[in-house]
Amino acid sequence: MNSIAIDTRLARLAKSGDRAAFAELVELYNDKIYHLAYRMLRNRHEAEEIVQETFLRVYMNLDKYDEQQKFSTWIYRIGTNLCIDRLRKRKPNYSLDAEMSDGDGNDWYSTLPSEEDTPAEQLVLSETQQQIRATIDTLPDKYKAVVILRYLQDLSLQEISEALSMPVTTIKTRLHRGREFLRKKLEQIL
Amino acid sequence: MDCKEALPLLHEYLDGDLQQVEAAKLKQHLAECAGCRKRLAQFEKVEALIQAWPKPEVPADMASRIMQSLPPARRKPWYSWVRRHPAISVAVVFLMVMAASFASLWDEDKELMLKGDDLQAVVIEGNTVIVPEGKTVTGDLTVKGGKLQVEGDVQGNLVVIDGSVVMASTAHISGQVKTIDEAFSWVWFKVNELFGQLSNWQ
Repeated sequence: MNSIAIDTRLARLAKSGDRAAFAELVELYNDKIYHLAYRMLRNRHEAEEIVQETFLRVYMNLDKYDEQQKFSTWIYRIGTNLCIDRLRKRKPNYSLDAEMSDGDGNDWYSTLPSEEDTPAEQLVLSETQQQIRATIDTLPDKYKAVVILRYLQDLSLQEISEALSMPVTTIKTRLHRGREFLRKKLEQIL
Repeated sequence: MDCKEALPLLHEYLDGDLQQVEAAKLKQHLAECAGCRKRLAQFEKVEALIQAWPKPEVPADMASRIMQSLPPARRKPWYSWVRRHPAISVAVVFLMVMAASFASLWDEDKELMLKGDDLQAVVIEGNTVIVPEGKTVTGDLTVKGGKLQVEGDVQGNLVVIDGSVVMASTAHISGQVKTIDEAFSWVWFKVNELFGQLSNWQ
């Protein structure tokens, strides 16, 4: 059977020093990782940094890539973890980390307004779209990653579970809670 | 089914994991419960709204910036090959050591060597081992690096390694005669000898 995925084959070539193969991998995935990072972090500059760091780590760790695993799962794992780390670094204040009493796992930091959607963009975007994005921003980090990977990056629950190294049941729980969180927040406009 | 039981099923349905039996139960509950119908509609709308978020535009030079930020390509030194193939490296070293020790053992025996349980009757002239006419050797005889000349009786096997055997018409050998010349069969012979010794120890 010669049905090795193209990206696995490229990774194998890149591992042996083939720069052009690595450039192909960049072409295949840089958009996706950028989308992921921007949706997680809502900041273009940080998203670009994440993308660059992700590919750098891929390059430096090609030796450790296990071909039994999908390449997409591996690169999404690196990218998502970098985003989650970056989100954590935004919370310097302990008191901001304290959970609010609404029992949803929210902290006060997530109530601060989002960085992105410039005034110009806001004019163009429908109010609904603005609200949806702002609400996703307020999702607790744990649910945010799962919701974005599922709905916006189109990963299956199995793929998300492998990328985040968590059982599928945990992923499902987080997805369900994320859904309920969003439904409640947006109830007025649904 | 009450709403509390129905809610997880709604989520399973949205995950695409709802099994047939539960789907039927859920369908029935939804037919009777406006609250859950509304909830399902809200979930579906949330999903649609999320998925309507258009893909953010990626900077055009992103790919080239990434390539430029990579460390320069360098020729991998030989020791990284060793690190990546530990099993083969160990096997190669092992084989080299084994080959060297076999080679030295093989070389060692340029001298005549004679082995046997009963050597009383055996005569040695130069590098020829002789079983004289009329004499009997009970047991096996092994000669290495020399000639074996049999004129008498041997009640056992003869093994000649790296040499030759000559039998006179008066010779009588009750066992087998083996001549070994190549290194491989010598190795095989040694292995058999080892097993023979092991079984003798029992």
